[in-house]
Amino acid sequence: MNAAWLPLTAIAASLLAAVIIFTLPEDARRLRTNINLLAAVIKITLVALMVRRVVQGDEAIFSFQIVGSIDFVLRADALGVMFAGLSSVLWLCTTVYAIGYLEGTANRKRFFGFFSLCVASTLGIALAGNLFTFLIFYEMLTLSTYPLVVHSGTDKALKAGRVYLRYTLTAGVVLLFGVVLLYSFTSEHSFASERGLGDYLGDHRTLLTFIFALLVGGFAVKAAMVPLHGWLPRAMVAPAPVSALLHAVAVVKAGAFGILRIIYDLYGIELSVELGVTTALAVAACITIIYGSLRAIAQQELKPRLAFSTISQVSYIVLGVSLFGPFGTIGALAHLLHQGLMKVTLFFCAGIYAEELGIHRIDEMNGAGKRMPLTSLAFTIGALGMIGLPPVAGFITKWYLGIGAIQAEMYWVVAVLVASSTLNAIYFLPIVHRLWFRVGPAHGHGTWPNEQRLGRLETHGWLLWPTVFTAVISLAAGLLAGLPFSPLDWATRVAVGEYLQ
Amino acid sequence: MINLLLIFALCWPLCVALAGVWQAYRAPASQRRYLSWWWVSAAWPSFLLAYAGEAQWVIDIWMLGGQWSLDALSRPWLAFTTLLWSFAAVHARGYLAKEQAKAQVGDSSAERRLLRLTLLWPLTLLGNVLLIIAQDIASFYLGFALMTFAAYALVVHTGTDEAKLGARAYLIMAVLGEGLILGGLLWAAGVAQSVLLEGVREGIASAEHGALMAALLWLGLGVKAGVIGLHVWLPLAHPAAPAPASAVLSGAMIKAGLLGWLYVLPLGETSLSPELTRLGEIMLIAGLAAAFGAALYGVWQRHPKAVLAYSSISQMGMLTAMVAMGLAAPEVWPLLLPGVVLFAAHHALAKGALFMGTSISEHLPRWPTALVWVLLALPAVSLTGAFGAGMISKWTVKSALYEMHHESLITLLTWAAIGTSALVSVSLWRQWQQRHAGGSHAAQWGAWLAALTAALVTPLWLPLPEGSVALPPLKEWISLMWPLPVGVMAVWLGGWLTRHLRIGIPPAGDLWWLYAWLAQNVLVAIRGVGQWCNGIKAASVNATLAIEKRVMGRLTQLTAVESWMRHHTSGLMMALAVVLALLLIWEGA
Repeated sequence: MNAAWLPLTAIAASLLAAVIIFTLPEDARRLRTNINLLAAVIKITLVALMVRRVVQGDEAIFSFQIVGSIDFVLRADALGVMFAGLSSVLWLCTTVYAIGYLEGTANRKRFFGFFSLCVASTLGIALAGNLFTFLIFYEMLTLSTYPLVVHSGTDKALKAGRVYLRYTLTAGVVLLFGVVLLYSFTSEHSFASERGLGDYLGDHRTLLTFIFALLVGGFAVKAAMVPLHGWLPRAMVAPAPVSALLHAVAVVKAGAFGILRIIYDLYGIELSVELGVTTALAVAACITIIYGSLRAIAQQELKPRLAFSTISQVSYIVLGVSLFGPFGTIGALAHLLHQGLMKVTLFFCAGIYAEELGIHRIDEMNGAGKRMPLTSLAFTIGALGMIGLPPVAGFITKWYLGIGAIQAEMYWVVAVLVASSTLNAIYFLPIVHRLWFRVGPAHGHGTWPNEQRLGRLETHGWLLWPTVFTAVISLAAGLLAGLPFSPLDWATRVAVGEYLQ
Repeated sequence: MINLLLIFALCWPLCVALAGVWQAYRAPASQRRYLSWWWVSAAWPSFLLAYAGEAQWVIDIWMLGGQWSLDALSRPWLAFTTLLWSFAAVHARGYLAKEQAKAQVGDSSAERRLLRLTLLWPLTLLGNVLLIIAQDIASFYLGFALMTFAAYALVVHTGTDEAKLGARAYLIMAVLGEGLILGGLLWAAGVAQSVLLEGVREGIASAEHGALMAALLWLGLGVKAGVIGLHVWLPLAHPAAPAPASAVLSGAMIKAGLLGWLYVLPLGETSLSPELTRLGEIMLIAGLAAAFGAALYGVWQRHPKAVLAYSSISQMGMLTAMVAMGLAAPEVWPLLLPGVVLFAAHHALAKGALFMGTSISEHLPRWPTALVWVLLALPAVSLTGAFGAGMISKWTVKSALYEMHHESLITLLTWAAIGTSALVSVSLWRQWQQRHAGGSHAAQWGAWLAALTAALVTPLWLPLPEGSVALPPLKEWISLMWPLPVGVMAVWLGGWLTRHLRIGIPPAGDLWWLYAWLAQNVLVAIRGVGQWCNGIKAASVNATLAIEKRVMGRLTQLTAVESWMRHHTSGLMMALAVVLALLLIWEGA
């Protein structure tokens, strides 16, 4: 039995939630919250079932013929389930957080509706079984995130939204062109093919390289690789939960995940190496890593600094993919999860600081550790993880990427990794220092920009607990990386599958 | 049983730290006891662990796969490290008693500093313990990083400008060191395909670029161990840190760098590549340069703790030279290793006692003056090798070198001992000049006396393999003792000669100021380049916008044509009809 209902219901859960939320009146707050949480929990359960099936060596597949030989395929393979798991767990956290964050603001119906749509499309991207299906959900993601980016409706937000659309829709066109071109001469677009596109290498070498460039170029816009990253820092005007989701799971990860799919499941890693495109990709990723870090240092506001950090960190995934060998792959896949966990923590914290204390600039953060110890602790864990210090999860991926680079005999990549660690330290440690070692308003020096007492604890519980949860998970993912079903374990499972093929 | 003790040893510092924070949040300010006896006891279980015998643990779920062990090297290391941590904690209790009293009457900045110390002191200790028992790379790196970053709070404790400068130098150098270590570990482990420190050792010994990996690790760990050129944080951080913090920094944490070398470098392996031997020679030269250079620079310092910091650099230089022998002349290493361990242990306790002594001379107990100063001088004399455990440790090293006929190195080390004597006598002299009466806390002098005693009898309690340590034969005593009077004489002579000269005191931190100047200029240059790039970007955007404007202008002109056409629609249609008709006629004809 191939359990076709499983991937379909998982996506339907979020879609249905979106539809119901759109039909509810704006002030049905409690019902909306319940539906949101229920859908998130259902989704996690369904993804857990898919995980169990994958462990048993059986993939849930849903397939539906659209026209001719073009199928709509959902397939819960190990890689897809990994991304689906990340998106469903973080969706739950972000939903809880968003409910707390948007408490008492306008247009929450619109927000949560598109939020659910956005997650449905992310899940679709994760489970898409061929390039056609992937493309559908990919474009759906673009459109469903636009209302979230411009949620506040200010001029700045609208402008950022325009820039976002300009980038992503252009990329969509390029992508579509690549897909059509590929399909027209190979009639191949499934991610499940055993051989990849190796058969076409002899006759169509140049064309294959060109199509690769089109596809990866298209995905690189969402993955925010330099020089296609311009939209990401601007999109920081979005509310904190959106930034968190955008950075950790949905948009940038969708781009990185697309590149993963292209290399591992469409072209096949051997063919990609044969074409020589992986080296070019590695160089591009390294440039992005260094450039993002350098720009991050120059930022004086918290969210833009985190944004440039994302640009840098997501390219770790691309870098890992482009290193031929199991370690690079494991590093890339594990970083997909680890970066998500750590970045979502950091953005949650940034949001809490902004809501509770009105902090936007880094120099306003002095002594915030005393006023908000748990939030600041979570931020510290996330920051240390981004630097790649043990025992946080970031160390594990950095380690695997480094080993992967050595084994692929690309020694300069190690230098890039070390440089990036140092640069990360340069822009994260001063923040941590400000939090814990400087005196600020909490010690009676000056006042917070806009302090509010949102909750009985240091802030509203709906904001605090998801943050603490993701911080703990980031720590555990590094400290207990050897446990079964840890991100590292799952990444190893996927990588073994890729290389044994 | 030993498993339980291990868990206890690792959890206890964490519990102590958390309990400190917990009570700080729960209890009213006047009842808070920051440096309680619970807090002081943080290192005790680890100390017991060192005497619990040899053991090995494999923990699969731990990070990349954990492997910890207590063996002939890690046991003595753990013993002297945790002993020093225990004494320093007791000393801190006395040293900071006034600060605690201030905090209890509501001085919020004292409260903040103490809370920070309560939390981060045990964490630093935990990192130090973990890196000693670790045999896998991830645990070692975790311990090292935890110790390094948590110790920031120890350095910056007083919050004065000097402390901030020292802490900044410490942190910048530490980040640099961490980067180098990561690079070296990744490279070696990637080649060896191993997650164990043993794998790193084998990888370095067998790989093509082994010497480069070893050099990265030597320098990375050398930041902590005060390798010349990377030592600049030591003389800046030590004078600014509280005395007990300086004691553990200089005694225990510096040694972590040394232990790292022992763990990752293929010391004593036969058939090393010529490049590795060359690296050994470079290390030897760097070590000796540090041993002599630090002495020459340090004697001019005014702050006794700065002098002691230079003494640490000098002593670590000697240890570097000994470790270098493991690469340059591997056959001597098995004989030399016990001497290195003993030397390190003795230096840890003696330097700890000396640093605690600086706080004693600032608050002289109401004892006979002569007694206090003799006691203050004892660890110093022992450090020069003229007395006590210092003599035995020097002899252990020398006898190994004698056996393998490295007489020239022995001579150099003996001369370096003159430098040591000079430094410690300058330090004592500076302490004498800057002494204060006023009585010290019982915990303060108690810990100092204990550390002093432990330093003098180091070989008695250090769990070294049997038969590795022996008393020097009587005829060697002179050769071990003469550097002390010579050093003292040199200082006296130098002081007498330069008394009438106006010699400015060279700033502590020597090369730091050069580095700072260089970094500043580089930053200015980078900023300039950044602005230039920005200018180019703005210019190109403007150029593109101008082109766009021109194109749009043209297009707008076209719309003018369109409006002309709209005006003459009927005429144009007529003309078109006529043309079509003509075409039809022509086609028909």
